[in-house]
Amino acid sequence: MTAIAVNQFAQCITCHAWSPDHSMVAFCPNNNEVHIYRLSQDKWEKVHVLEKFLHFVLKQHDQIVSGIDWSPRSNRIVTASHDRNSYVWNLEGSEWVPTLVILRLNRAALCVQWSPKENKFAVGSGAKTVCVCYYEQENNWWVSKLIRKRHDSSVTSVAWHPNNILLATTSADGKCRIFSTFIKGVDTKDSRTGPSSDSKFGEQIVQLDLSFSWAFGVKWSPSGNTLAYVGHNSMIYFVDEIGPSPLAQNVAFRDLPLRDVLFVSERMVIGVGFDCNPMVFAADERGIWSFIRFLGERKTISSGSKYGSQFSEAFGKLYGQSKHGLSNDAVEPSRSRGGIHDNCINCILPLSQSGISTVMRFSTSGLDGKVVIWDLENQADLSEYL
Amino acid sequence: MASTEGFVEADNAEAIITRIEHKSRKIESLLKQSKPVEALKTALEGSPPKTRDERCKSANWIVVHRALMAIKDVEGLLSSLDAEYYDILMKYLYRGLSTGDRPTCDQCLRIHEKLTERAGLGCILRCLADTVNTV
Repeated sequence: MTAIAVNQFAQCITCHAWSPDHSMVAFCPNNNEVHIYRLSQDKWEKVHVLEKFLHFVLKQHDQIVSGIDWSPRSNRIVTASHDRNSYVWNLEGSEWVPTLVILRLNRAALCVQWSPKENKFAVGSGAKTVCVCYYEQENNWWVSKLIRKRHDSSVTSVAWHPNNILLATTSADGKCRIFSTFIKGVDTKDSRTGPSSDSKFGEQIVQLDLSFSWAFGVKWSPSGNTLAYVGHNSMIYFVDEIGPSPLAQNVAFRDLPLRDVLFVSERMVIGVGFDCNPMVFAADERGIWSFIRFLGERKTISSGSKYGSQFSEAFGKLYGQSKHGLSNDAVEPSRSRGGIHDNCINCILPLSQSGISTVMRFSTSGLDGKVVIWDLENQADLSEYL
Repeated sequence: MASTEGFVEADNAEAIITRIEHKSRKIESLLKQSKPVEALKTALEGSPPKTRDERCKSANWIVVHRALMAIKDVEGLLSSLDAEYYDILMKYLYRGLSTGDRPTCDQCLRIHEKLTERAGLGCILRCLADTVNTV
């Protein structure tokens, strides 16, 4: 069994994040709160709720929290919300104390991620901008610097290159872009490597124009040599040699589109999305990427329909009627789909051990309110890619 | 700049239409030899999704439609059609469905069912999501 723990935390989860030692999980149950649960004696119990009534009334989120990231070394939580603000939460004693970060946005913040060195974080937004925020010691304040140009639509995800400078973004205009986020006084010269060596803040390194529909879920491989992102047209894109002449591969697959991806090694990617079942993609010795298989148990195919997915009921009805003129109840509307997730998965995170670049465990959360932990141990056919 | 582009486009369009006329004759002869699958392959080959010229698109749709309507054995068609043609065929099926013409729609739905079984929902998604390379 690849899914080793299934936890139904809420009706619906927009995003989740793990504490540095993976003993606690923070998630947003599709409202303006962030709940933190801790595992104690095989049971998850709620230990904190990051929301407005615990602290100062005006300061906290008042709309859906769209992004959470928990920094592994400095143990800080950053949240981003549709209310256009971000908070950095610090644990002081037993209380999580928020610091407001004014992003200077006029649309919702959609995603957030700490940089590898944890001295910056990036927020993607519906205002066609990316905010790169850093801490200013003298003012005791998080400053937001904006990359305003370039994006023609909402920024759906952001990903930091391991060098702490390059930032990849995907947008609803279908493009994936890579920017330099070098900030004087925050980043040092020697940390700049490769194609970013002489670029200023906000300079676009490359624009990847592979998708014709919304792009989501950009991620770097552990070494930062390969980039993967997905399109809403059931395609996944792999890009090598980021720079003036990138090498791109487009992989089409037969199922519903993905929302997010995760590199578990340099040669293997897990994709999650509307098909409710994680998909495994891997590169062979020549570096050619392809779809390998589904990770979960293959869905049980019910007699009423040939399509094991969210669309199956509608499809069953369409074809059932056109062929035999049967009534609607030929297809059971509320059958279980047999997978571990019952709805779109929109978030996948590594549960990596420090010092090991290969991810053996990861977690997924989705619109069904479950957080599922998966383990790649004992998957004989996949071990060659790890 | 814009005017030169327009000129190149028009020039291209003439060339494309000539090519489609060639294809059309080839398809007719294939249909006479009762090779409808070969005819459909020929029709789908080199279809002009990249051009924005509506005349080219319509001209190619006419030849695809001609080949499509001649298909009797859908299973046989799909097993001899390479997977690379699935996405473009799906696009033409939706174009067929959008005509509202009863026999065309019947035929397109029949192929659509079998094609979806074979190529998956991803094929439909790619066809619906692509607003740039339309047929």
